[in-house]
Amino acid sequence: MSVAGSSRRFALAGAATLAVLWLVPFYYAVSTICKSTAQYLSGTPLSLPPSLSSLPGNIEAAWAQTQMGQGMLNSLGYGVLGAGGAVLAAASAAYALARIVFPARTTWFMVIFAGTVFPFQIYLIPLFQGYARFGLLNTRLGLLMAYMAICVPFPTLVLRNHMGQIPRDLDEAARMDGCSHFRIFRSIILPNSTGPLIALFLLQFTWIWNDLIFSMVLTTETAQRSVMNALMVFQGNYAGTTPNLVITASVLASLPTVAVFLLLRRYFMQGLSLSVHA
Amino acid sequence: MSGIPALPALPHRGAAARRPVRLTAEERAVRRRDYFSAILFMAPALLLVSIFLLAPVVYNILISFTGWSHFKGFNRFVGLANYRHAINNPDFSAAASNTVVWVIASLVLPVLIGLGLAVLLRGLKGEEFLKTIFFLPRLVAPTAIGAIWYYVYADNGVVNTILKQVGAGRFAESWLYQASTATPAMIIAYVWQTTGLVMVLLLLGLAALPHDPIEAATVEGASRWQIFRHIVLPMLMPTVLVVTTISIIAGFTTFDLVWVMGRDYPNPSSLTLAIHQYWESFRSGHWAYGAAIAVLLGGIALIVTLLQVILQQRVESRIR
Repeated sequence: MSVAGSSRRFALAGAATLAVLWLVPFYYAVSTICKSTAQYLSGTPLSLPPSLSSLPGNIEAAWAQTQMGQGMLNSLGYGVLGAGGAVLAAASAAYALARIVFPARTTWFMVIFAGTVFPFQIYLIPLFQGYARFGLLNTRLGLLMAYMAICVPFPTLVLRNHMGQIPRDLDEAARMDGCSHFRIFRSIILPNSTGPLIALFLLQFTWIWNDLIFSMVLTTETAQRSVMNALMVFQGNYAGTTPNLVITASVLASLPTVAVFLLLRRYFMQGLSLSVHA
Repeated sequence: MSGIPALPALPHRGAAARRPVRLTAEERAVRRRDYFSAILFMAPALLLVSIFLLAPVVYNILISFTGWSHFKGFNRFVGLANYRHAINNPDFSAAASNTVVWVIASLVLPVLIGLGLAVLLRGLKGEEFLKTIFFLPRLVAPTAIGAIWYYVYADNGVVNTILKQVGAGRFAESWLYQASTATPAMIIAYVWQTTGLVMVLLLLGLAALPHDPIEAATVEGASRWQIFRHIVLPMLMPTVLVVTTISIIAGFTTFDLVWVMGRDYPNPSSLTLAIHQYWESFRSGHWAYGAAIAVLLGGIALIVTLLQVILQQRVESRIR
C-alpha cells in the first residue's frame, strides 16, 4: 500500500489538521493553568498567559481547595491494592483454567467472565444497599473490594490465554518430580507471565484511578473519597467562579497516570494488544 | 471423544487422559486432588466476582420488581410497574433518545475516524508522533476531560470565542444547555477522548495481518481502495468488531463525562440513561425505579454483546 497521489496528500493534510485540532484542548488547559483568576476572566480563553508567575499559586490553591493530597493518597491505595489483588486473583484462577484438567472448565470460566457483560449501573444500587447494611458504606475497604472485584474478570481471560501458550514440558517434568501445583504456579508460570501481569496491572490501575461513579456512590466523605471524586466536587462548586483553579486541579489529578504511561509505555501497549487479541 | 458434544476443552495433555479407560485408584486420587486444587486456585476470583458482581446483578433484578424507595419499604412486589413508569416518564424518554444518539455516535464516529487514521498513518514518516497526539486524550481522566471541555462550550468559552473572532458571532450558543446541541457537544468530547485508543487497537490489528494476500493483490494491479475494501477490511473485521463492541458499551454507559459537563442537573438536554439511573437512585431515592433502568441498560449491553458474538462467528467462517 504505497501508492502516492493527490488523494493521499489530501488525506494527509486532513490528518494533520485533525492533529492540530486535537491539541487545542491541551493548549487551552496548559495556558489556563498559567493565568490568575482575574487574568482568565478578563481575557479570552485561548489568549497566551502574560507570564508563568501565576502557576505556583494556582497549583497551591487548587491542591488545597480540592483536598487533593487526601484524594490522591486514597486513589493510590485503591489502585495499587485493587489492581494488584485483582491481577493476582486472576492469575491464580487462570492457572487453574489453563493448566489443570478438571471437569466443566469452560463453565467455571464463564462464571468469572460473566462479570464483564454488565454495565456498571447494574451493580450500584445493590452494592450501596448491601454496604449500608453491613457497615461498608464510606469505608476504604468497601470501595477497595468493589474495585478489586471489577478488575478480576478481564485479566482472567487474558492470562488464561497467555498461560495456555506456555510450553508444557516444564511443568510436566516438575509434576513428575512431585512438585505441587502451588510450586509450579509460583516458580514456573508466574515468572513466565511477568509481561502480561505488569501490563494488566497498569491497565486496571489506570481504570481505578480514573473511576468516578463507584467512588461517588460508595463514599461521600472527604476521608475515603478518590481523587476523581474530589475533583468532581470541586468542579461542581467552583466551575463558575475560578475556572483556572478547576483546570489546574484537573491537570494535577491526571498527571500521575500520564506520567506512569510515559514511563511504562511499552507495557501499556502490550496491555492494549492483549485486549484486542484476547 | 468423537461424537459426544463435549464442552469445548482447550487442546491439552488431557487428550490422553480422556480416553475411556478404567482408571487406577491412584489416577482417580490424582484427579480428585487436581479438581480440589483447581477450585482452591479459582476461589479468590470466584468469591470476589460472585459476592461483588454476580449477587448484585441478581439483587438488582429483584429490586426492579418491587416498590422500594426511600419512602416506601422493600417488601412489596409490583410486577412491571417500574418499567411501565419508565415508558411514561418524559425524563426517561429524553434520556433514552439521547442514549440512542450516544449509541449510534459511539458506534460510528470513533471507529470510522479511528479506522481512517489507522490506515492513513500506517507506515508514515511521522506515524509515532501523530499516533501519540491522537492517543494523548486517552491518558487524561474522563472527569478531568469533562471539566476542561465544559469551558470549551461555555458561554464565553473556546468555541464561542473562536466564532466571534472569525466574525461568526451570531452562531455563538449555550452549547451545553440547548437540547439540539448538548448531546452532540458531549459526544465530540467523547470522540476526542476515545478515537486515539480505537486507532491504536486497529493499528495493532493491522500489524498482525498476513502480508502475502496484500502483496499478491498489489502485484496483480489492484488499486489501494480495492485492496482495502476486499482484502484488508475483511481480515481486519474481527478486530473492528471487538473494538466496536467495546466502544458502544463504553459510549452508552458513559457517566463521568456527561455528569461533569452537564453540571446544572436536571438538564434534560444532555440527560442519558446512565445519568437518569444515578439521579433517580442516589439523589431521589427511587431504588426500584433506578434498578429497572439498570436492568434495561444491562439488556441493551447483552444484546450488543450477543450481536457481536454472532457477527464474529459469521465473519470468521467467511474468512476460512
